[in-house]
Amino acid sequence: MRRAALYLGLLLTACHGSGDDGDDGSTHTATWTEAFDAEADGWLLSVWGPSSSDQWIAGGTPDSGKLLRYDGTNATAVTLPADTPLLNWSFGFGANDVYVVGNEGTVLHWDGAAFTVEETNTDQNLWGVWGASADDVWAVGGNGRAEGQLTLLRRRNGTWTSTTPPPLMRSNVFALFKVWGTSADNVYAVGQRGTVLHFDGTAWTEELVGTSDDLIALWGTGPDRIAVVGGRNNGQIAVWDGSAWNHASLAPLPGLNGVWMRDPSVVHVAGVTGTLATIDFDSLEYTDASVIGEGRDFHAVFGHEGGLTTVGGNFLQAQGPYRGIAYERPLLQGE
Amino acid sequence: MQVFRTVIVAATLVAVGCTGGDDDGPPPPVPSDIFAPMGEVAPYATADQKATFLRGREVAERRLTPHEGLGPDFNVVFCAACHEKPVTGGSAPRYRNFLLVGQQLSDGSFTPTGKNGVQTGYLLGKDARSPTDATTNVTATRNGIPFFGVGLLAELPDESILAHADPDDLDGDGISGKPNYDRGFVGRFGRKSQTVSIEGFIRGPLFNHLGLTTVPLSEAKKAALPVPSAASTTNVRALGLQYGTTGHGQAAAPDEPTEDDDGVPDPELSEDDLFDLVSFAMLLAPPAPDALDASGERGKQAFADMGCDGCHVPTLVSPRGSIPVYSDLLLHDMGEALADGVIMKEATGSEFRTQPLWGLAATGPYLHDGRADTIDEAIRLHGGEATKARTAYSSAPEGTKTDLLAFLESLGGRDLASGGLLAPDAPIPAVGEYGGPVAALSEADTERYRRGRELFDRDTPIAEGLGPRFNGDSCRACHFEPTIGGAGPLGLNVVRHGFIENGVFREPDMGTMAHRLATDVAARPPAEEGATVFELRQTPALYGLGLIDKIPDAAIVALEDPNDIDGDGIAGIARRLPDGRVGKLGWKAGVPSLADFTRDAMSNELGVTVPDDGTSIFGFATDDDDRADPEMSAADLDDVTFFMQQLAPPPRKMLGDPMVARGEATFETIGCVACHVSRLMDEDGEPVTLYSDLLLHDVASTDAMGIEDGPATIRHFRTPPLWGLGETAPYMHDGQATTIEEAIAVHEGEADAVRAAYEQLGATEREELLVFLRSL
Repeated sequence: MRRAALYLGLLLTACHGSGDDGDDGSTHTATWTEAFDAEADGWLLSVWGPSSSDQWIAGGTPDSGKLLRYDGTNATAVTLPADTPLLNWSFGFGANDVYVVGNEGTVLHWDGAAFTVEETNTDQNLWGVWGASADDVWAVGGNGRAEGQLTLLRRRNGTWTSTTPPPLMRSNVFALFKVWGTSADNVYAVGQRGTVLHFDGTAWTEELVGTSDDLIALWGTGPDRIAVVGGRNNGQIAVWDGSAWNHASLAPLPGLNGVWMRDPSVVHVAGVTGTLATIDFDSLEYTDASVIGEGRDFHAVFGHEGGLTTVGGNFLQAQGPYRGIAYERPLLQGE
Repeated sequence: MQVFRTVIVAATLVAVGCTGGDDDGPPPPVPSDIFAPMGEVAPYATADQKATFLRGREVAERRLTPHEGLGPDFNVVFCAACHEKPVTGGSAPRYRNFLLVGQQLSDGSFTPTGKNGVQTGYLLGKDARSPTDATTNVTATRNGIPFFGVGLLAELPDESILAHADPDDLDGDGISGKPNYDRGFVGRFGRKSQTVSIEGFIRGPLFNHLGLTTVPLSEAKKAALPVPSAASTTNVRALGLQYGTTGHGQAAAPDEPTEDDDGVPDPELSEDDLFDLVSFAMLLAPPAPDALDASGERGKQAFADMGCDGCHVPTLVSPRGSIPVYSDLLLHDMGEALADGVIMKEATGSEFRTQPLWGLAATGPYLHDGRADTIDEAIRLHGGEATKARTAYSSAPEGTKTDLLAFLESLGGRDLASGGLLAPDAPIPAVGEYGGPVAALSEADTERYRRGRELFDRDTPIAEGLGPRFNGDSCRACHFEPTIGGAGPLGLNVVRHGFIENGVFREPDMGTMAHRLATDVAARPPAEEGATVFELRQTPALYGLGLIDKIPDAAIVALEDPNDIDGDGIAGIARRLPDGRVGKLGWKAGVPSLADFTRDAMSNELGVTVPDDGTSIFGFATDDDDRADPEMSAADLDDVTFFMQQLAPPPRKMLGDPMVARGEATFETIGCVACHVSRLMDEDGEPVTLYSDLLLHDVASTDAMGIEDGPATIRHFRTPPLWGLGETAPYMHDGQATTIEEAIAVHEGEADAVRAAYEQLGATEREELLVFLRSL
């Protein structure tokens, strides 16, 4: 039972400031501003790019995919192969070697001149893609509803093949959402119900990180600085520091969908209901949380030499009209 | 350090502090227009909202069929099944308890198993019983939660709840109060405050418990709800105040459409129906508290003195005023004895939301799993942070306890409190009507009928012998359609099981019954491992059983033709029991008399032991709970039996209607009467027009898999009486037929020829036949 004294103390704090002016120790951050008007672009689900002037933003609607290239000023739609479904994620090794994955087992490869639709032999939705090298690319997915849907694909020698996941201790895992790694023999995949898988170059193994909430995305700055985020309702984070997984529920911070890191100690996250924040890797405490975008949900955040870009939309609403949002801000020193 | 959390609380509190909150002077008054009798609409509702409320209640009470999307796995067939006490929208007796299941791993994480964490009981089709996931290692029981006043809770600003939070017990009073969160909003619904969304709190159970798929309400529909819930109108949240400082944190409905593969197009509930249902819940008023007498006033003071109000905060402030919810809606650790191991968002396995107390008197049993039959018991079971208050209560003088209980019972709904679901003053229907006696009763017999009915309706407390395993906690639990004493829906089917090996049936060591529930709230009653067959048994109506009871064995035996000597393709076996009597009741004709039926049902369905009368082979004299046997007196047993003996057969409708007469003629012409004999003579020579020969017939499909019971093979079933047919769906022994037409269509074996004849009928003759059957 909280009594009046505490209540009044907080009240005074609140009445004297907005909370980001110093006495709570938080870091000042730059202001998020709208990158471009994405109102008519459908959902924007992924952002990746080799530079601030060449950012690939994938998404679409439940019926069709869309890909934008954003040069820092304007976002221009890219012509896609016919009948491309919703696109969920992208990753590349440079401007001329980019993979975009989406629903119904879709993998598009951009070689600098054209897109190629690559055969994957799956009709499951693909949610994530990452590669250690141009000839060692992983894609993950799964429709998330039934046994057998969890999808783990690897591209070697130009061919995608399905990899059998290890037997899982955790129940009812029917989807993986992202894959990321630091080398060909240090790859992580995260997914439904707190699932984390690790590939050591030979085999995948399951790791327990302390949550059963869906884990949506991961990033890191090295093999011992890896952050996994997720949570559909309340934000979840688990970090690998080289010796152990540390987990925290971040409530009331809402669920998180996107993560990106440059500084080994600063985790940039984006989540539902317009949530953006930075999290201290070591303390797992968040600062500079803000809510923008009129309640729409962010799905991805990505950084480049010029700053951060975050994208999203009303992708949690089943019915249209399907709207997107895109915001950006500079990256400060130490971020 | 949780820097931003501090900022959040500060920021949310500043909204109160700077705009006039509940610490700025005296709290606002309790609004006068929020209360209504239980089950009724909030007085502040507009005319349109009141119409929506009525439509929503109809949706809540609508019995769903597989054709409408029920299943493929499910627990109940209508929303109000778990929200029926004392009226639609309320709580539920213990027989409606359900199980939560999950898997706890070594990292402490809790993964829901089953169907999104719910253990369903039933599967459509031959599998019949939902299996338990092999990885399940946590099972917990939940009792239906009342919805009264939830719209008022939805309107509470987050800061009203956060004002009482003290998660680290900084004030050292031993009571914490931790908010749960849901997408940045403060959770308030559910036993663990796990959600902020009424729509979500409805869509989830619709899918998990009924198998009914839905699509989230559109933004336009959400905005039109009685508690506006669109993103654009949602602006009170724990994170930030960018959208304003008032409003309702309702935006956290699960956003994904639910889907299943039962063959019915998704969504199976329309958006309009969902809107009405959510509106109904939002507009369901809390009951008005009673004026306090002297005892109640003393109890109110004791409530404060004992520290009950540390969690059961009398009022929370909403835009309407002070809402007397008697809850802080926060999580509290209730101790290991109450812990259920279920982790929901920020709530640990031992943390539960403080339950609102309005309507307490009429909404037992109590606590999250319904383990407490009385308010007194519920208080005594409080642990953890409530230990101090509990100790204060248990050590208080008896008079003080009485006063406290009087106060708690004054918090609305006392006028509707009863031992079961019948209202305290429920009249006895007229002679010959559904639920009424078969004939006029003397004053003494009327009183006995009333007492028998009360016992039939009464929810049996654990302390009086319920369990250890049970399907229902009262007779009425399964027999209530369309009135007490009637049939039961699919969601209350009994599950029997066994082994069929090389075509031979073997009964499990534990018997064929696989109970739904147990008084052990942390376990699902087991079925025997490796069982190869599960069979559902639909609850038949009990109307007119007293008349059947009076049919002499000889009248039944006279109709049998076990070897089909007459060559009409229809055999008919009288089931002779070990004591020489003929079985008349039950799907396999296994029970010879109503008195035996009562004993059998009390023991097998309720787990209540009955007196050993030295003759009957039915019922258990002992069981393995710790209650003294017998758990039911002979007098009570007799009164329940008396009620059923006197229960009238269903009233015939459309008597004299030529269409009915033509339908009955067709019924006879095509041969239905060969088994569904229109009448048997009772021991007094009076006709009993039951439309059954009470014999066993082979009428199931050749590939039927089921239970063998004595001479009744897997495919043998007793011809069920047809009276009341139109009001007692579903049909057949397992409830597989939703309509009478479907029931006819699945008759096979001895009924092949008759079914074929039915299928040859013209449309008019068929309709006449169906009209006749519905008239019974």
